[in-house]
Amino acid sequence: MTVALSPRRLRSVVPPLVFGLAFLALWESAVRGFDLKPYFLAAPTKIVGEFADNVGLIWDSSMVSGGNAFVGLVVGTVLGVAMSFVLSRYRFLGELVTPLAIALNAIPIFVLVAVLNNMYSITSEIPRRFMVTLVVYFIVLVNVAKGLTQVKGTHVELMRSYAASDFEILRKVRVPNAKPYLFTALKIAAPASVITAFVSEYFGGSQNGLGSRITSNIANSRNATAWAYVLGACLLGLGFYIISVALENVTRKEGAPIATKQGKIKK
Amino acid sequence: MSAVHVAGVSKIFNQGTPKQVDALVDVNLTVEAGDFVSLIGPSGCGKSTLLRLIANLLEPTTGSVTVNGKSSAQARLDQDYGMAFQQAGLFDWRTVAKNIELPLELKGWDKEKRRARALEMLELVKLPEFAELYPWQLSGGMQQRIAIARALAAHPQLLLMDEPFGALDEMTREYMQGELLRICRETKTTVVFVTHSIPEAVYLSNRVVVMSPRPGRITKLIDVDLGRDRSEDTRNADAFFHGITAVREALRGTHADHANEVRGVEDR
Ligand SMILES: Nc1ncnc2c1ncn2[C@@H]1O[C@H](COP(=O)(O)OP(=O)(O)O)[C@@H](O)[C@H]1O
Ligand SMILES: [Mg+2]
Repeated sequence: MTVALSPRRLRSVVPPLVFGLAFLALWESAVRGFDLKPYFLAAPTKIVGEFADNVGLIWDSSMVSGGNAFVGLVVGTVLGVAMSFVLSRYRFLGELVTPLAIALNAIPIFVLVAVLNNMYSITSEIPRRFMVTLVVYFIVLVNVAKGLTQVKGTHVELMRSYAASDFEILRKVRVPNAKPYLFTALKIAAPASVITAFVSEYFGGSQNGLGSRITSNIANSRNATAWAYVLGACLLGLGFYIISVALENVTRKEGAPIATKQGKIKK
Repeated sequence: MSAVHVAGVSKIFNQGTPKQVDALVDVNLTVEAGDFVSLIGPSGCGKSTLLRLIANLLEPTTGSVTVNGKSSAQARLDQDYGMAFQQAGLFDWRTVAKNIELPLELKGWDKEKRRARALEMLELVKLPEFAELYPWQLSGGMQQRIAIARALAAHPQLLLMDEPFGALDEMTREYMQGELLRICRETKTTVVFVTHSIPEAVYLSNRVVVMSPRPGRITKLIDVDLGRDRSEDTRNADAFFHGITAVREALRGTHADHANEVRGVEDR
């Protein structure tokens, strides 16, 4: 992946960067100008300072939350892909499961973690990982199943004219067609896995992840430290997103188009 | 042995339901090897259905379809025909050469043989330098030429085409017609060609099959007397205009019965 700073790329990078910096400057000057107390709103410089002071601790809790998110992301993706093959093979199952999956996607099912925590030992990471798995699973399932089934009629007719078997149609048409859908799913699922991992920490269990640290620091009125953990959380989420985009770039053949969700092709 | 023999074929969709459509009724048609036969008629008259029956992508409700002396099912299994549609239907994730290789892959050809044939086909359609590009980097006309190259890659004796130039602009379309005639002459391919353009049907075919809808049936067979070697000058020949007039009049017959439906046919 080359990150050439072409004029076009600069034009898309510079404005948000300037806006972000201006926002931070405004924040900083507001805190100083109105002499806001740290327990109300901490200044960005103070947050960065806290971040630097606690970088080891933040890293440790990032590993806990990130680890949960990662395990759930991998397991959820594998299960989601596997199930999407089953659904595309047995259409009637798809008609049963897909609306259900979409409905489940729309509600914040990670509250289930509260129930799961009761089923496992209080220090177990399994309920959190399970929640992440579940969220990722449905995102991947819905998208990949769509990619496997929504193939062009002309393509299927052509394959049949070549006397291709169902398995050959799967391998040479459905699977390649579903690939961009998988990456779309991963780009949604990667940040969602991190968010689910954080939020799951609010429902009990051991207090070792970023989410728990944010709450406990706020409870102790260490606002700036809490913000430093929030910064860590942002970086972790960003990291996951970048990994999913990088993965897409690596597996994409040189010069091949990206099929957008609307099925249009952009270069 | 005829290339295609359609005997007493009818095709009824959704039989016995309120949505029943008599797409084709009692169709008989013989296409001899080396023929270029066009199917023309207003939309909904069953042209595509007839082509799909020949291709064994559909089963007839009654009657039989024979291709190269075999059942159409066996002919499909043997890849006896190639097919092209209005949408080029190229695979975006495959290079141009890999697209042309696809039917050969499914025949189990090895890699080198496939590649050699793909390059040979690219020469045939005059796009040899495009092998490693992706389909979306090509214009509509080029994509359609690749689709023809793919349809002919396994050297089938029969080519089935469903409005392959329907989405192209007029100039590209005329160029493609000339190219198709040249390719078929060079490869000695028999063609069944669906169109709704009268001049296209006359220019390309030695036989035009006129169809009418509701129920879909063949109303007239018109022989076009333009010889085998056609060129751009053919478009100014008297015989070309005679052919156009004959087809138009035959279609007008369908017009008398079905006042609105002849609008589906282009008179350009
Ligand atoms: N799969 C199908 N199911 C039901 N009706 C169909 C199907 N395919 C075609 N038809 C109907 O059969 C008739 C002929 O269709 P078609 O062969 O596509 O016509 P043409 O290609 O001449 O425009 C039309 O009325 C069409 O609606
Ligand atoms: Mg049609």
